[in-house]
This record gives sequence, C-alpha cells and structure tokens, in this order.
Amino acid sequence: MTKTVSRRDFLKLGAASVGALAIGQMLPPKVARAAWDNGALNADGDGHISTMCEMCVWRCGLIAKVVKGRVVKLDGNPDHPHSRGNLCPRGQSGLMNTYDPDRVLTPLIRAGKRGEGIFRPATWEEALDLVANKILEIKGKYGAEAMVFSSTHNLSQPLFENLLYAFGSPNYGTQRSLCFNAMIVANTMTYGMEEPARIYDDKLKYILLTGRNLLEAISTSETHDLIMAIDRGAKVVYLDPRYTKTASKATEWLPVKPGNDLAFHLALLNVIVGENLYNRSFVEKNTIGFDELKKEVHRYTPEWAAPLTGIPAETISRIAHEFAQAAPHALAHNGWRTSNFINSFHTQRAITILNALVGNWNVVLQDAGGEESGTLGAPSQPAYPRISALRLDGVPWKYPVVPFKIGVFQELRDNIVSGDPYQAHGWFISRQNPVMSLPDRGKTLKAFEKLDFIVTMDIILNDTAWFSDVILPEASYLERYDPLVPIGDKVFIRQPVIEPQGDAKSALWVYKQLGERLGIGDFFQYADEEDYLRQQLAPTGISLEEIKAKGYAELREAPHAGESAELNWNTPSGKIELFSETLAKVGFPGVPTWEEPPQPAEDQFYLLTGKVAQSTQFGTQNNQLLHKYSDEPRLWMNSKTAENLGLANEDWVEVTSSVGQIHTRLLVTQAIRPDCVYMTPGYGHLSKGLKTAFGIGAADSAVHVTYTDPISGGQALSQTFVTVKKV
Amino acid sequence: MTEIKHHAYLFDATRCIDCRACMVACSVENNIEMDKTRIWVAGVGIKGEYPELQRGTMVYHCMHCDHPDCMSACPVGAYTKAEDGPVTYNPDLCIGCRYCMNACPFGVPHFDYDKGIIEGAFIDKCTFCPQRIYNGQEPACVQTCPTDALEYGDREELIARAHARIADHPGRYIDHVYGEKENGGTSYLIISHIPFGELGLPNLPATPVNEVSEKVMEITIPFALGWGAILTGVAAGVNLYNKKKEKTAVEEKAEKSK
Repeated sequence: MTKTVSRRDFLKLGAASVGALAIGQMLPPKVARAAWDNGALNADGDGHISTMCEMCVWRCGLIAKVVKGRVVKLDGNPDHPHSRGNLCPRGQSGLMNTYDPDRVLTPLIRAGKRGEGIFRPATWEEALDLVANKILEIKGKYGAEAMVFSSTHNLSQPLFENLLYAFGSPNYGTQRSLCFNAMIVANTMTYGMEEPARIYDDKLKYILLTGRNLLEAISTSETHDLIMAIDRGAKVVYLDPRYTKTASKATEWLPVKPGNDLAFHLALLNVIVGENLYNRSFVEKNTIGFDELKKEVHRYTPEWAAPLTGIPAETISRIAHEFAQAAPHALAHNGWRTSNFINSFHTQRAITILNALVGNWNVVLQDAGGEESGTLGAPSQPAYPRISALRLDGVPWKYPVVPFKIGVFQELRDNIVSGDPYQAHGWFISRQNPVMSLPDRGKTLKAFEKLDFIVTMDIILNDTAWFSDVILPEASYLERYDPLVPIGDKVFIRQPVIEPQGDAKSALWVYKQLGERLGIGDFFQYADEEDYLRQQLAPTGISLEEIKAKGYAELREAPHAGESAELNWNTPSGKIELFSETLAKVGFPGVPTWEEPPQPAEDQFYLLTGKVAQSTQFGTQNNQLLHKYSDEPRLWMNSKTAENLGLANEDWVEVTSSVGQIHTRLLVTQAIRPDCVYMTPGYGHLSKGLKTAFGIGAADSAVHVTYTDPISGGQALSQTFVTVKKV
Repeated sequence: MTEIKHHAYLFDATRCIDCRACMVACSVENNIEMDKTRIWVAGVGIKGEYPELQRGTMVYHCMHCDHPDCMSACPVGAYTKAEDGPVTYNPDLCIGCRYCMNACPFGVPHFDYDKGIIEGAFIDKCTFCPQRIYNGQEPACVQTCPTDALEYGDREELIARAHARIADHPGRYIDHVYGEKENGGTSYLIISHIPFGELGLPNLPATPVNEVSEKVMEITIPFALGWGAILTGVAAGVNLYNKKKEKTAVEEKAEKSK
C-alpha cells in the first residue's frame, strides 16, 4: 500500500468539513436547505439523498447517506434500472473521488513551464477572463476552427456542444474512436441506430460474446443480467485471447487469435447462410442485400477460418448450428471496446448481421430509444452559425461514414501535429485525459507543443491538466447538478448531495460563464442549474422539488421503444441492410469482407489491453479506495512463453513498440495466449498531482501505435506489437 | 423480507466475479482504515494449464460461527455470540492478547499493531453491519453485490435455498453446503463448483473445535495451579540442591586447605 491518506489525515478532513458546516449553519447551505425542505435530511443534516453515479458512463442510480454535511456511504438505488440496488466497486468508492486529497478546489493558472506542475491559485473571475480572452485571441488571429474542444459522454454534453458550435469551431473531440467506433458505425450502417438494447429474459438460451468482458468491464445491470442468464443455464461462448473472469464463467472459452475474430464470424455467416439455418421469413421481410451477402460469405468456410482463428472447423460449425437452433433466443453481443484491429468494422458488421439473420429482433435486441428523448424541454437558443472549415479529424472528408458527434480522436491529434489542413492553436478539454487515453503519448505531448493555449476542466490534476495553462476545478458528481436524463418511462436526476468543496463549480455554470464571455450567451439561457432543470421539466408537468425528493419521476408520455407492429429502421432503405449501399457508394465493401490483419514478427507479441473492475479508463486510479483493492498492474505473459524467454514471475521487463518503451513487472500466467502479452491501461501517470496513482505501473499509451480503421475511424488498440526483454 | 431469526450469509462461488465491490462497500460503511480490510479474497485463482483452465474465487469475512472459537479463547469475554447470529467484539474489554486470532480456524480476527492501549480496539473483524441489519437493510457487502453472489437472510431459509440450488443444477456444484455443519455450524454459508479446500477453507468436523477446547479450558486453571506447584517444587529442590552443592564445595575446599 503506498501513499494513502493516514487515518489521522482522514479524520482531519472530516473535522474540516464539520467546521465548515458550523459556519454554514448560521446561513444554511443551499444543498442542505433544499434537502431539509423535502424531508431528505433531518434537522441535524443527516439523511439520504438520491442522485446518479458518474464513476463510469453507465449512470447507476444512487442513494447517498449524508451525515452532517458529509457523504458517508453510497448505495445503489433499487428503483433505478441500471443499478437495481447494486453498485460495482467503482460506484461504491465514488465518495473517495469527491474527498480525494488531491482534488483541485480553486482555479489554477500555470506559473512554470508546461509539465513542471507549477501553478498559482486564481479566482474564477481571473481564470474565466483569461480563458475567454485567449480563445477570442486565437479566433481573431486564426479563425474559430483553430480552437479544438473535446469532452465525452456526459450529461452536460449538449451545453458543451453549444460552446463549440456557437463559437464556430467544427473541431469536436470525443474519445469514442478509442472505444467503440467500429460497433457504432456498424450498427448505424445495418440497423440505423448506434446500439440496440439487449434483452436478457428467462428464455435467452445462447450468448456469444466477442471480447466483451462484461464481468470485469462492469455495467451493473447488464453484468447482473449475464450472471443470472448463466445461472439459469444459458450457454455462453466467449472469444478472447485472454482467460478473463468472463472466460471463467463462460460455458466455452475460445482463445481466438487477435484480429481473426473476423474470420470466425464470417465462417458463422457462411454456415448459417450456406446451410439455410437463417430465419427465412424475417430475412425476406425485414432485410435487404441477402444475395450480395450470400455471394460474399460463400468462400468463408469453417475450414478456411480454422487456421486463421486457431479454432477447429468443427467447433465453428457446431457453434453456428447451436446459435441458429437457439434462435431467436440467441444473442451475438456486439462487444464494446472492439475497435481492436483495422478490420474490426467488418467484425462488427458480421455480428450485427448474424443477429439479423436469425431474426432475434424484439426478442433479444430492440430499439434502445436513445438519450436525446423529446419528452424533456430545453432553454430556447438561436441556430448555430454556419461552419465552413474542415474538421481536423477527417470527418467526413477522410472518414465519410463516421458520425460527426463520434469523430476520430487520434486523427484530430495527428493533424494538430501535422498542421494539416490547417494549424490548431488552442484546446479546451473537459473531463478527458487525452495524454493517457490516446495512443502514442509522445505524439500527444508533441501536439501540446504546437498549441498556444490549453485549458482543462476536471476535479483532479489529471495528466492533461498537468500540461495545461489553466485548470478549471469542476464540482464532483456528488456536488453538482447535471441536465436531467430520461431512461425508459422515468426521468432521473443528478443533484448535489453535499455543497461543492472549495471553489469547485458545475459544468452548467462554467459553460454559461464562458459562453457569456465569448459573446454567445444566447446559447445559455438559464439563470442557474436549477433553472436549467426547471426548463427541462416544463413540458412534463413535473416539479423540480418532486424529482429532487425521489431522485426520479415517471414521465406521463413515455416513449414506446420498439413496440410498433410494423418494423421500420432508420436506414436509407428502411430495412436492415445486410448490404449497405451507403458503404458501397463511398468505395467500401457493402457486405462484411475478409481483411487480413497484420501479425507480429517472430520475436514480437500482440499487446492487449482490457478492463478491470476496479478502475474506469484513466480517471479513477487516484481513488484511494480503488487503489486499496486493485491488483498491482503487471504485464501478463503465458507461462510457457516466459520459460522459453528465460523470464520469471515478477521480473522487471522492458516492453518496446515502434513508438515507445516502458518498464514494468511481469505476471507469468496460464491465462493468456502464448503469442500475446496484456497490460491494464490507466497506469504510469505523468502527473505528480496524482499522489496515490503516480509511480504505479506503466502506461499503455506510451507504447500504443496509432492505427485507424479506415471505415469506422476506430483506433486499432490491439494492433500494437512489442518485444519483451528482461531489464 | 420475512422476520429473520438467525441472520446469515450465503456465498455462491459460481456467481462471484471477484470484482471486490463488497470489500469497498465494507470499507466505506464501517470506515475502515486505508491499510486494513474486513473482507478477503481467498481461493485458487487460476488453475490448470493453457487452454484448459478453471478459476475459483471466494470472498470471506467473519463466519459468525454458532460455537465461536474466538469467544472461547478470549480470556476477558470481549466476544459475544448473539442469539440471532452475529458474533461481535467489544473493544473496551480487549486486552490485546491475540488468543482469538490463534483460535479462529478461519484466520479472521486481525490484530491492529498500530494502535496503543490508549487508542482502544486491538482486534478488527466483521460486525455483521448491525447498523444496517437492525434497520431493515442488508449488510453493506450483500447489498452492493452486482451478481448476487452474496445473499443475506434467515439461516434456515438460506440453507434450504443452497440445497435447492445444488439440486436444481446437477453437476454444477459440489454437493455440500459449507458452514451448515462445519465447526458446529456457521452463519456464513458457502456453495461452490471448486472443492472447498482449494477455496482456502479448512476441513472442519461437525463437532465444534471449542467443544474440545472448552473441556481443555475447564481444566486449565487446576492444571496451571498443579503445574505451578510442581515447578515450584522443582525450583525449590534445585535451589536446595545447589545450596547443598555449594556447601559441599566449600567443605571440600576447606578440607583441601587443611
């Protein structure tokens, strides 16, 4: 255990907040007063307040136990469909993010060289004026497009989009191309939606997981669904080069050769089409392009796929038969972080098509409805100005089928370095850590050198903040409001359960303040956070007080997802597109096609990365409670391979790729293919402002090589090959 | 939830994904120091040879035995076995002798070497979350478990549920509910697909260890007194012998000098 808050320090922190409350009691703090009013807190300030988790993007409902102005425990909200009363370890540890001794609680302005970590505290007035002036200066000199804005998958995203589009920049960085572009673009091309919802009912018999490590990359309710399906006796076939915790619960683990899962899925299609195992009436009625598909998959026999995948032909054929037999109660899971090779788009298309062929729509898959439900209102705002500049990330001029709000993050970074088609000069980053998340960290730091101004908004000094000119301290998710989000027939609230610590402020407040300073105040027409939420609730007839007290409210006019009698898809043809004209028109294969993935040289390994249940991406390693229960991050290597190389467990090794080198300790294990090594991402932080996480493990981003799938724009995260030798 | 006569846990190793949410939940709920824990993961991890592998995980905390050895061993009565299940520990009475640690067949009570006698509690272990279970909530570890690997309820009901689950899925489980009989019965019950020994659980007889130890304890004091008397006698004898020897030596010396 290293560098944790000592017991004494922990108590001191507690004492400080009690002191703050004593002063506050003369003038009751806002959060506490509202909670007293609706009965959530008693006269002593003790009680339970409902809100929503933000330790990952799953957004479980929470009930926060508050004692004298301090959160002391979080429990899952049993009424919330994503938590059902449970929380994963990250959700349980959430209050330690809020009480992290490394929290940034006042705006900071850089006072040394970039990366030295020398900052001086500033007032919000000074920091916001500085940020606005710098941004306007860049716009004046180079045009609005010279400012890059990036933020990902959070509830204040619509206001963030207002900030950049109203300002006039097309350069919107999300991190999705580092996660699941292949999956989203494949679904969009096939079903006309980003990701269908999955139904795990009692009848579900067969689940095919392709690299979806759902028991370690936890989405609380879906993880629960999977375990319960296994418990009921559903068969789970799991493809992964690594024996993960999901593999250990699967009926059948297939350690597929990396990048060749495409061959496996093409062979499944071959058997299902060739042996007439598909649902003929569903296919005829609801799909187009079956003949083109049939013609293409004809050559992908199980015998062809066997040497590529390392899975025997009989096994592939058997699984195709089992899947078709179990259908429609059979699910081929799209997976999540599966943009692993530059051929991953085809893999994802093959998976979506497998589902379509067996006709499991409205049985195990259905329309997810989407977060942008029309049932809620919003403050009025003018239309965005017309933006004519090209996007630096190549959408759509290089990546014609990648949606604008998804983007190609690594390409954006590359073009900041290249200055092509024009030079960017500033980067506004909210709740992101591209220094850690983007492949080829050295190149990301090079991109920073090209920029006149970098500003980061976060709750801690993450690695990107460490290299920034201004840091804006955001209130944590337990200290702030975010816009309301509808889930099914309910609308849920994220509301503060304690007062923001220090000078921390909500994104809703920060974006409005910046908007006004940038002359785009019309896009932020709300007096404060509560006013924004009231305007959202206006058309529903629900009061803010009602939703605050319960944590959610029933929507009177619930959206009815996937219930219409006539199936209709938001594709150009209105049908499920097995063959996509959209793809063909821009020169891509219209049906899934084999593309040979590159292979490591004789002395190299595939470098795999993946998830553990105790951390989310790159942002939670400094949480002391998670640190406490995390395994030491080490490089996994197959026992036989290690023996052949003369390496022993716990040896320090040097891992080298074409872009970088790291030192880490070895974990010798049976649980990985002999041609692969694995490391957990999110370690090897550069920021010394992360006192718990700094100095632990090594960074995958230091060795990851940038390869982009030309169709979906996804970063091929498993296509990095490394050599390993003893230090 | 029906009325609980005997609070108990049921752990199903086939459902546990080793996510450690229970451990974090316990640490927060009970305000456990950053370098301590009341829940551990025991078990085999990964066994077998690639690609024929198996994995077993068991989370455990205090087993809340029906015949707690910690309690029998405690010379100052710091432990209590509640009629409704929980085995609790009173830090005010503890003298830090660590007998309970040696007595517990599961290695549960942990000694806090950081605290002096003035700061109180020496021993730390699971309390069964009385602040939750007597207020209508599940223990923190159970409530949070995302896969229902940990369940909470009345001991008899959980034992019946465990047997029913084993019967419903022939071949999935080892046909045994650990803790139903072991050590005279525990309030932490376990079903598993991996042999219990490999999960790190001791092979204990149904006769509680402390039934033997208590019999031994009964004769401890007379035995100690008797042994003390013998030792005193021996010491006195040795003393006498030495004095005699000394005297002899003096006499011999005297004789020689003559």
